[in-house]
Amino acid sequence: MKIKIDTRPLWIVLLSRWWRFPVYVLLGYFLYRSYGLTPPTGLTIEGFRALMVFLTCLILWVFHLLPLPITGLFALVAPPLMGVMSVKQAFTFFGSEPVFFILGVFILAAALLKSGLSTRLALRLLRSSAKSPKRLILQVMFASALLSFIMSEHAVAAMMFPLVVIITQALQFQPQGGSYGRILFLAMAWGCVVGGIATMLGGGRVPLAVGILQESGFGTITFLEWSRAVFPIVLVLFAFCYVLLTRYYPIDVDSVEEADKTLAEQVAKLGRPLLEEHFLGLLLVGAVLGWMFLGHRIGMATISILAVVLLFMFRVVSWEDLQENVEWGIILMYGGAIGISSILNSTGAGLWLAHTYVVPHLHSPWILIAVLSLATILLTEAMSNSAVVAVLLPIGMSVAKSFGLDPKVTVFAVGTASGLAYALPMSTPSVALAYSSGYLRLKEVVVPAAIMVAVSYGALLLTAKFWWPLLGIRI
Amino acid sequence: MENLGLLKLQLLYYGIRAGEGLPSPLANPFGLVHLVLPDKTPVSVHRNDNGRESPFTLKKDGARFHLDIADRECVPVKWTPPLTCYQKKTSSGLPVADILTVHGDFIAVHPSHACRFGQSGLSCRYCGSSKELSQHPPFTPRDLVEAVQIVLKEKRCDLVALSSGRVDTDDGGVEKLAMWVAEIRKHLNVLISLDLVPPASNDWIDQTYAMGVDAVYYDTDFFNPNDEPKKDFEKHKTRQLEALEYAGKIFPTGAVLSHLVVGLEPLEETKKSIDLLIDRGVVPVLTYFPPYDGSSLRARWTATPEAIVPLYAHLYERLVRTHINPQWVQQYDVVLTPLEGRFFSEQSARYHLKLKHFYETGFGRALRFGLAGLRRHLRVREVPRG
Ligand code: SF4
Repeated sequence: MKIKIDTRPLWIVLLSRWWRFPVYVLLGYFLYRSYGLTPPTGLTIEGFRALMVFLTCLILWVFHLLPLPITGLFALVAPPLMGVMSVKQAFTFFGSEPVFFILGVFILAAALLKSGLSTRLALRLLRSSAKSPKRLILQVMFASALLSFIMSEHAVAAMMFPLVVIITQALQFQPQGGSYGRILFLAMAWGCVVGGIATMLGGGRVPLAVGILQESGFGTITFLEWSRAVFPIVLVLFAFCYVLLTRYYPIDVDSVEEADKTLAEQVAKLGRPLLEEHFLGLLLVGAVLGWMFLGHRIGMATISILAVVLLFMFRVVSWEDLQENVEWGIILMYGGAIGISSILNSTGAGLWLAHTYVVPHLHSPWILIAVLSLATILLTEAMSNSAVVAVLLPIGMSVAKSFGLDPKVTVFAVGTASGLAYALPMSTPSVALAYSSGYLRLKEVVVPAAIMVAVSYGALLLTAKFWWPLLGIRI
Repeated sequence: MENLGLLKLQLLYYGIRAGEGLPSPLANPFGLVHLVLPDKTPVSVHRNDNGRESPFTLKKDGARFHLDIADRECVPVKWTPPLTCYQKKTSSGLPVADILTVHGDFIAVHPSHACRFGQSGLSCRYCGSSKELSQHPPFTPRDLVEAVQIVLKEKRCDLVALSSGRVDTDDGGVEKLAMWVAEIRKHLNVLISLDLVPPASNDWIDQTYAMGVDAVYYDTDFFNPNDEPKKDFEKHKTRQLEALEYAGKIFPTGAVLSHLVVGLEPLEETKKSIDLLIDRGVVPVLTYFPPYDGSSLRARWTATPEAIVPLYAHLYERLVRTHINPQWVQQYDVVLTPLEGRFFSEQSARYHLKLKHFYETGFGRALRFGLAGLRRHLRVREVPRG
């Protein structure tokens, strides 16, 4: 980081830095006033106040007025303050299973990064002799996507990024030069995005969505159920993304031999895998199998925490190493998001909102899914995908219930759509990283990204129409 | 009634003789007598007892002081006794006078003891004798903070001015002073100004402001005809002016200053330099250090107080017209400040004087310091490299 002085007129600087303050005051006043108001017919006083807290959090999340985890904490303390429930009850949401599942997953991902095993896997997937430029693109995409099956996509992107930089350097590209460098960084970012929806491990948003479902008392979705439901989307998007990247941008290199040599050097530098890496690999395979086949019986969180305990029992990583690589804040955000959504449901506020404002305008459950997925896909381009889930899912589930639909459907729709962000740097960390390379400019990315968004939306709807019924998920 | 501006210039030029029965010590450890002329106009004057020229004699009449001026009316003045805290010591045993010099409401410090004058052995009137300063034992930022705290107990001061001395590095001397600024910021609520050379890149200027500096004096070298002409003179001059202009955008208006030495070159040239600086948002500080009476240079010196009056008038009027705040010039007892140029002008100085008096109140001072901090808080950002 370097120091820069903002030389715009002081009132503009003041406004740009402190505009949040008046908004905080307004939101505080809004909550204060709503405390004394009589609820509309059909809504209990608790439901009304819960709804006001939800609206406040929605504004805080959507406009990023506070860091996401801090809004999460606010979502936990506001309901007791508004007299919706006791403090004790509110804080129990932190104990919900998905929060601990994702905690375990984050710790495992951090261990993978720290131990170097993920880099070794990535290099393995990238390296093969006498590659053609197209093959290299495919391998970058494949490595990114495949690793995103087992680690959160942003961790994969963080690990793949330096490797792609090494490749571009070996090929002597310049950021403003030809288009092959751009394709490689997009292959990395979009590979992570597409791979990230395949399992519950690709990011926190799916566990969050499942957590909201579970704590609202609508059952759960298992590890296998999730992957089975979204796998066709992953396959279609992966294939389409490859075709799009290789056709849309000209491939302006003849040979990538130099990259191959550099990757070989990197592999050589890594040396033999350490005992810790072997152990970590085995542990991960065991955990994935556990999530797939035992998750619904002994609990997803139990398996991930158990894996973490084993990790430390065998001293694969140290606590200090992990501390800086785990996104602790997200855990707080999830606790709050799950909490507020569950309160909306238990107080009947969600249902009331759905009945009063949403259901009269939607004529069929299909329209609900279409609108919900579209809203999610569009919002996730500009907002954190977890925030999108926290904001849209509680309402979506209530509307689904009003239609007599299984609320799980909305979890599949929102959970998948919230991962599909391609264009803007703020959409997801993988895309942001790709932009940080200097190889991408929005105007060169926007058209293929829009095509990807459209195809993703289509693939999601077609999967919902033709594939999900085969799995018993009916709309 | 005397023109106070002219009187101050004459005092700087001629010095004073000391009359009978004056208190002792009359001057500070650096030989300067602190006086306040009417209209709260401070001046620090050297003693010229043996000189032939000085028409001014400081006299004491009961509890009052006045300047007895040959062939003219007496002028009542206030005499400020030299600070007793100069003799006090920091916890490491260093006398305060070895660490800093107090001028009016600002404190001058030379952490490196290595300015041009200090190295050459010449005596500088500005902040005492550099020759002696350069022989003082080195002191630490901690010593400085303690010394300032000792001074502040005796006298109100608003600004600490740190000098980088003569530097040839790209940063213009900022890096060297960073730890001093940090220590002062950590312990004291004062404004800080640095004497620097314009740096090679603008990033250093951002850095200077961000680290807690409120005002800068840039020591340009292209104005001084006595200096050896540099290789690539034009390039060098362009870069220095560019740096000054950039700093003018970064620091509060009027807080980027640069000295112009009056009398070394034809006054028309100095006038052009004033315009050159003001056009870039920089406040020129006209330093008038005429050689002492009796020296050979004095015999050839043509820049008499009367001759340089139009320069000060021009400076003041241009500042008023360009809305540049003249309040940042603190060295007000050894130079005639831009604001004191008002004595030679028809333009009203009401607004600036009101502001000056407001800053002298406890509330005004707190507000000034607070706003300076707030401005920095708002303007300084951290951005990714590249
Ligand atoms: S005023 Fe400048 S020249 Fe004089 S002693 Fe101080 S640093 Fe040296």
